[in-house]
This record gives sequence, structure tokens and C-alpha cells, in this order.
Amino acid sequence: MAKTASDTAGLIPEGLELPPARKGERALARRRRLAAYLMLSPGGLYLVIGFVIPLVIIVILSLSSGGGLFSSGGKTTFSWEWSNYSQAISDNWKIYLRSIAYAAIATTICIGLAYPMAYWIAFYGGRWKATLFMMILVPFFVSFVIRTIQWNFILGTNGLLFGPLKNLGVIPEDFHVLRTPVAVIAGITYNYMPFAALPLYVALERIDRRLVEAAKDLYASKSMSFRKVVLPLSAPGIFAAVILTFVPATGDYVNSTILGGPGTTMIGQIIQNFFLVRHLYTIAAAMSVILMLGMLVLALAYARVLGTEDSTLAAGAAA
Amino acid sequence: MTPEPQDQPGFSAALARGLTSQRMSRRNVMKLGGMSVGALSLSSILAACSSGSSTGGAGGSSSGSGAVDFDPANAGSTLNFSNWPLYIDKANKGFPSLDAFKEASGISVTYNDEINDNASFFGELLPQLQAGQDVGRDIVVITNGEYLAALIQNGWATELDSNYRPNFDANAASWAKSPFYDEGNRHTMAWQSGLTGIGYNTTLVNQPPTKLDDLMSTDFFRSATVGVLKSDAPDLVMVNLGIDPKTSQQPEWDEAAAWLTKLRDSDTFYAAYDQDYIDDLTAGNLAGTMAWSGDVLYYKIWEGQPFEFIVPADGSLLWIDNMLIPAHSQNPAGALEMMDFFYKPEIAQMVTEWVLYMSPVPAVQDLIAKHAKDETGTYAKQLTDTAESPMLWPDEALLSQVQLGRNLTTDAESEAWHATFDKIWEQ
Repeated sequence: MAKTASDTAGLIPEGLELPPARKGERALARRRRLAAYLMLSPGGLYLVIGFVIPLVIIVILSLSSGGGLFSSGGKTTFSWEWSNYSQAISDNWKIYLRSIAYAAIATTICIGLAYPMAYWIAFYGGRWKATLFMMILVPFFVSFVIRTIQWNFILGTNGLLFGPLKNLGVIPEDFHVLRTPVAVIAGITYNYMPFAALPLYVALERIDRRLVEAAKDLYASKSMSFRKVVLPLSAPGIFAAVILTFVPATGDYVNSTILGGPGTTMIGQIIQNFFLVRHLYTIAAAMSVILMLGMLVLALAYARVLGTEDSTLAAGAAA
Repeated sequence: MTPEPQDQPGFSAALARGLTSQRMSRRNVMKLGGMSVGALSLSSILAACSSGSSTGGAGGSSSGSGAVDFDPANAGSTLNFSNWPLYIDKANKGFPSLDAFKEASGISVTYNDEINDNASFFGELLPQLQAGQDVGRDIVVITNGEYLAALIQNGWATELDSNYRPNFDANAASWAKSPFYDEGNRHTMAWQSGLTGIGYNTTLVNQPPTKLDDLMSTDFFRSATVGVLKSDAPDLVMVNLGIDPKTSQQPEWDEAAAWLTKLRDSDTFYAAYDQDYIDDLTAGNLAGTMAWSGDVLYYKIWEGQPFEFIVPADGSLLWIDNMLIPAHSQNPAGALEMMDFFYKPEIAQMVTEWVLYMSPVPAVQDLIAKHAKDETGTYAKQLTDTAESPMLWPDEALLSQVQLGRNLTTDAESEAWHATFDKIWEQ
């Protein structure tokens, strides 16, 4: 809560009259503090209710025992049940690794596709910049699920893409992409690409063009000025793009559910199954916590290896 | 087009189904809605936590038959009935069978087609059931199996009074009476039922399949054109391996799992479904699949699709969707009255002409045949097809070929079952 004048009264020797200027400064500082609280508390409260409390519940559940539908009617008891974690890992380590691999591949493709696009719009978009950038975001106006289900039609065995090719005899009759890793990774890439494009564009847009010109004046070739000037200056954007794409992609289960098959299961599907189908909340919670910690460790390691302090800060700003 | 489509259940059925979608597919939207489902599960967890600490023993308290008054004279005036989408007769904006019930009993029914699958609906009720509270529904429809067993075992299904169901006693089919999972129908009465067998597209198969093994043979199906129903597959496979699922144990489960793994790894396999296989069948992505009788028959009879549904040579899986009254219902007497009302043949007929699943009232078959004689044109033909479909009116020969699935009744069984079968589809 905001401090009142009486809080600070003890600090000022009694009877001492402060010069008017100092008084004003204090009032200003107080107002600033008050403003800080006022500005932080709505969002902070929202996060406490929406994130911190559920997180605590999940952690408690992940260390609870019981929960069997038949023996205890689904009731759980907190008991430091660490075996939930060992079971979650031993049953699913392969699926964790697969999720990370799919997300990493999709993230790489996302950056590869989004970077040139963002670069062109930022450097050559001219007055069309805003419009062009809007077009990248247009898919977001359609529901995530609907977008992914559309891919079922596009990639279907006799769908929009392969149906005609099959009729023409270009590809064999039994050719299919749906239910394969290719379909799942393609789906993730498509769904998360705008998350990569956004920070990349912001970073590239901010680059001072005079630096590129200066590089040219100093006889740097085009590729050299890109490597020595543009790329390093856009690093914060790349960093943010990777985090924003990779982290949610790892936990994604929509793409693998709709586009994948038995061999493309991702960890999000398993967690979904344990939470909503089998109602075994303890194991499901343990799996969620493992996923979360894993992402945190990977993100920190990534920041440590690739991000400078500046780029981490900038990434935060860009995000 | 007919002049007054809304008066013909067949037409409005086709229209409604065409405009919406199959009985199951809305579930996807829910399941994949992500955020909303996340919020839902979170709230249920919160509720579970709070109820866990505040109440000692949930369930068991309310369901003793002595405690509940089923005398229709004491029934309340409203009922909340939760069912699966497209699982009751419809006309314009109302439900003729429920209107008839209101006329007969004075009870008005609020009908909610909110159940998209047993598991998540069970999860929705769970927090309140655990807390010993009214779940706000007086009748729900749950398929025989794990979740129904859990409801009964925890005392979350109100025990019924057999003195107040004369129509059921008089008209119920043999298979609907005293099923092994609920002997004496102490907690449940069948709503509709169906078979899980093979559905296929006659234009996409090399030759018509006759047995379950054909699903993995390229003599019958081209590469990557065969689907599997995850939830029903274990039981269906056991039936076809000559095992009675009801009494099966781990060794038999392993046998079925080996069969399913073989199918999964075979050239013909395309995908395993929770329930939305019908979209891929109608889209031509599937040539054949494990399927529900009513789904396939609907598309065959009412939509004229080149589909066929067969009971594999070695048998089919029979499943029963059951009406039950959740514990602490506000109007159990009215609920039982309505459940029994749907065992009047002329009421059951209204439902069957619309939903095309197996009616627990065999007398409906003749009523539909008679109705067909009073109609003309396509509608008469469709009604005749409905009345003559062997899948809707199983005779002794067919019934001898079908089995009910395994009833999981302990945590250990459930754990072992899922450990055996889930991993086939979640490698």
C-alpha cells in the first residue's frame, strides 16, 4: 500500500522545517510509488489468480497420492508422492524427447521462413509495411482448432492437395502425409509462424538504416553488411522468436491430435488424456510440472549460451 | 422436397444432421478448445480440492432405495435430462416424445444434448458428486463401461425402485433386462444401444470384408485406408479372438493388444480415432473402419452413401447407453417416470425413427413397418429400410454373435487395461 506522510515522519527530526523544494520532491516520489502500485496491481492480481494459484494447486496435486476412481472416488491426498514424477518420466521420456524434437524442428523452420519475410517487410515494405504485416497476422482471426482441421482437408489422402496429384498420376495412390511426423511438424510450423514473425519484424524494423549504409560506405559487401550489421542487431528478435515459438509448440497437442497418428504422440496429448479422460490428476500434474521445468531449464540454458544480457532484455521488450 | 418437411422426422433428421454434424464430432471442438477445457478442468480440480477437505465420505449416503421416494404422485414439475447430441426425435424446435411426456405427466423436461463423451462428461460431474451435491441433472445417459461402473460403485447413481416401471417390465428387450454390469437394473435402464462392427465404403474396398482380420489385409483394403475406434477396439478384438471380454484378464488383454499392434503396423492402417472416424469415412480418407452401427446406417439409409455395416464373422461388440439418475437428484420420481415412459412402444418408435440405433423396445419394429405403409415415396422406403435392418432388430442368431465389453471395476484393473491398450496408440 502507498505510504502516507506519517510513515516517514520518524525519519525527519522533529521541528525541522524542510525547504519547500524537498517537500515537493517527496510528494512526487510518493505519487510515483502510488502510481507504480496502481499500475502493477491489476495485472499482478490477475496473474496471482490465473497463474500462481493454479500452479500451486498443480504442484500440490503432483505430490499427492490416491485419486483412483474406484477406490477413493477420485479423491487425492497430499503426501510428498515423488513416485508420480518417476512414473511420469519412465513412462513418457520418449514422448517428452519427441515433443522437444518436433518443436525444435518447427521452430527452426518458422525462423527460416519468417526471417526473410520480416526482413523484406521491414526494409522494403515502404508504405505497405503495416498492411503486409497485418497479412501475416490474418490467420489469427480464425480459430486455432478450425485452422488445424482445415489442414485435414488440405493434406487428406484424397484432399485438396493430393487428390488432383493422384488423379494425374504424379504421386502413387497410397501416398499420404496426414498421420505422419511431417504433417504434425508442418501444422505446428504453420500455427506458430506469426509468433516468430512478430518479434523478428519488430527487431528488424528498429535497426538504424544508417548503420547499413555506413557498412556499405566502408566497402562491406551486401552479405557482409548483413552478417556483421543486420544479423547481430536482429539477434534479440531471433531470441524472442525462438522462445515464443518453441515453448508453446512443445506442449502443443492440437496439431498432433488432429494431424498425427500413433507414432507422433506429443506430451500434451498424454497430459490431456490423463487429465480429461482418465481423471488421474496426480500423474497428469506431475507430467505438467516436468514439462514446465524442462522448458524453463532449456530457455535459461539457451539464454545463457546465445543471448547477451542486452538481447534478453530486448527480447522481453519485443515480446 | 416435401411440402412440410418439419412434419417428417426423416427429413428433418437428415437436414439437421447435415447442417450440424455427427453425434460425436462436437466433442472435438470441446476437447481441442484448449483454453476452455483447461479452465474447466482447473475449476473441477479447485472444486475437488475444496470438497476433499470439507467433506469426509462422498457418495453412498443418498442412494439407498429406502431414502428416495419414487411415487409419481410426489414427482416434481421439472426435469433436467442430459443426453448425447442427435440422440432423440426432433421437430421444429421441440422434441415430440418429450412433449408427449409433458402432456401425460405434467412434467416439463429441459433437454440438454451436452454429452460428447463419457469420460469428459463424467469429469464434469465429478467435483459435485465428490462433494455430495446435486449435479443439476436428473437423468444422464452413460455407456456401459468404466465410468458407469465408477458411478454405481461410488453410490453416485440413485438406486431405482422396480415397482414404478411397468412399461419397462412389459416391453424391454431381453438384452436390456438385467445386464451383467447392473443386475436387476438396480441403477440403470437402457436408452438406446448399438453394435461396434465394420463399416466400409463399398466403392473404396478391393472386395467386401467379412471378418475383423480383413482389416489388415491388402486383399481387402488399400494401403493406409483403415481406421480403428480406440475405445471399442480391445473388446471388439477379444470377441473376434473367441474371448468373452466380460471375464477377460491380462493374458487375454495381451492377446488383443498384440492383434491391435499388428493392425497398427500393417500396411492398411490409417488412423486410430476417439470417435470422429465418420468424418474421414465420408471424406473418403477411410475405406473401412471399426464403426458404430447407427452412424453407418444413418449415412446409408438417409444419405444414400455407398456404405455398408457388417457384423464380423466372429462377432460384434454390443454396447448399451444407459439412463440413470445421479445421486441427490431433485426429482427422482419424475425421472423414473420419464425413463419408464420411453418404454412405451409408440414413444420409443418416435426416437428410433430418428436416431437409428437399437431400440430397447422390440415392439417398435412392427410400428415402424406399419408407419411405412401409411407413407409414400422415399420416406416410406427409408422407413421400410429402417424396419427391416437386421442391425436394428437383432434376432437370436445375431445376439448370439455379440458380447458386451469388459467392465473395469477396480483401480488396478483400470490401470492395467490402460497400460496395455493406450500405449498402442501413444507410442
